[in-house]
Amino acid sequence: MTIGIEPYRQEFISAVKCFNARLDGGGAPAEFRFPQHHLPEWLPRRNGEPLYQEYFLALENGAVRGGYILKYQEFFVRGELKNVAYYHLPLSEGIVNKAYASVGAHMLRHALKAQPLLFALGMGGFDRPLPRMLKAMGWSMCAVPFYFQVNRPTRFLREVHALRNTAWRRCVLDLAALTGTGWLGLTVLQVLHRQHPKAGTQVATVDEFTGWADDLVENCRKRYVMLARRDQKNLNLLYPRRSKFLRLRVSRAGKVLGWAVLLDTQMKDHRYFGNLRVGTIVDTLALPEDALPVISAASQFLQQRGTDMVVSNQSHETWCAALKSAGFLRGPSNFIFAASQALSGCLRPFATNCTKIHFNRGDGDGPINL
Amino acid sequence: MSAVDSTSHEKWEQGMMTELLEQVRRMAADVLQVPENRITPQSSPDTTENWDSVHHLDLVLALEQAFNVQFEPEEIDQMKSIGQIVEVLESKLKQPR
Repeated sequence: MTIGIEPYRQEFISAVKCFNARLDGGGAPAEFRFPQHHLPEWLPRRNGEPLYQEYFLALENGAVRGGYILKYQEFFVRGELKNVAYYHLPLSEGIVNKAYASVGAHMLRHALKAQPLLFALGMGGFDRPLPRMLKAMGWSMCAVPFYFQVNRPTRFLREVHALRNTAWRRCVLDLAALTGTGWLGLTVLQVLHRQHPKAGTQVATVDEFTGWADDLVENCRKRYVMLARRDQKNLNLLYPRRSKFLRLRVSRAGKVLGWAVLLDTQMKDHRYFGNLRVGTIVDTLALPEDALPVISAASQFLQQRGTDMVVSNQSHETWCAALKSAGFLRGPSNFIFAASQALSGCLRPFATNCTKIHFNRGDGDGPINL
Repeated sequence: MSAVDSTSHEKWEQGMMTELLEQVRRMAADVLQVPENRITPQSSPDTTENWDSVHHLDLVLALEQAFNVQFEPEEIDQMKSIGQIVEVLESKLKQPR
């Protein structure tokens, strides 16, 4: 029986449910489930809009053997507008039944045929199956640096699951929390590199993006080797008005310097963050030289809300430097950016330019995993 | 084509097929990191421990490079055993390029 790839239609919903049940029965991790509705809740296709998601299924005689999602979006690549797609949530029955080991390669080839300018983001580390497949296909890859700032050291030391993974480490971290040495150490580390942006920065929370966001992205388009078209229309689709996202506009002397989209999430038994209240700098934009006031405003805003820690992934070197200057520490990153051969050809030399592209969590799968 | 020509052509094709099978077996053994004598035309992901989705793609890419071909997504899907890989590859090599 041959497998064909088709867009996800309503008639396949029950087959997707059976597929998910087989993944579940085979012991696949809980996050490996395909959406059980054919229309995306976030970024559905709208008439003529270039920013949307489309679901695809690998079908074998009516049975679903795999699926993947493409998020289509316009990007400025070296200042020129190009249609690029984000390849995400590729799921294959091959993970629980090796008879379908070919489905992953089939889906990837299918996606590349439809849209050669593809990227993947996140993926949980270079050693995971998808990045290994992408590497084999000649994709270029780099880790998007991860930064964190601890606002409440004692709670951080007691809750952060990512560090408390052995009995010995738990003991050391509890001791550090109890004696105050953890608080002292983290505070010193964070204050060591801290720089304050120029005075006179105004910060306002906004309900939506308006014309000032268009002006800003127009000024920024040639300052980043690759940048999603973060104009008001796209931003209001990505971060809708009635959603959990917080939007900050940062100005100085009446001029908009930049903006940040934030999240303030109370974690519950999270595999990395335990029960911490985590602030996330999800997305940002400013001219590279204005990154520091935006990052400083975002981290202070999240600190004042009572978060235990603030995290951010940023690819561009100036944004990384701004995080460091704002007192953030760099941690290990499993957030990978991978560019197809056609896309990395536009970003040549990739090794140099992967620190000059503007990618962060806002370019990923949005409300999921945040 | 005469009966004699037809027979010799079949023999030639069979010889080519055998040679192709041997080449694919060698490459599969190398990619999947299993002894060559354990790779048979019936070998498949189900019967070969290391043959997962990543190794499947590695094998496809190794074949493409060695034979200077590019498989369509549908052809990749037909490659469910060594025997089927040889069939797909043989038909691919017969196509005008």
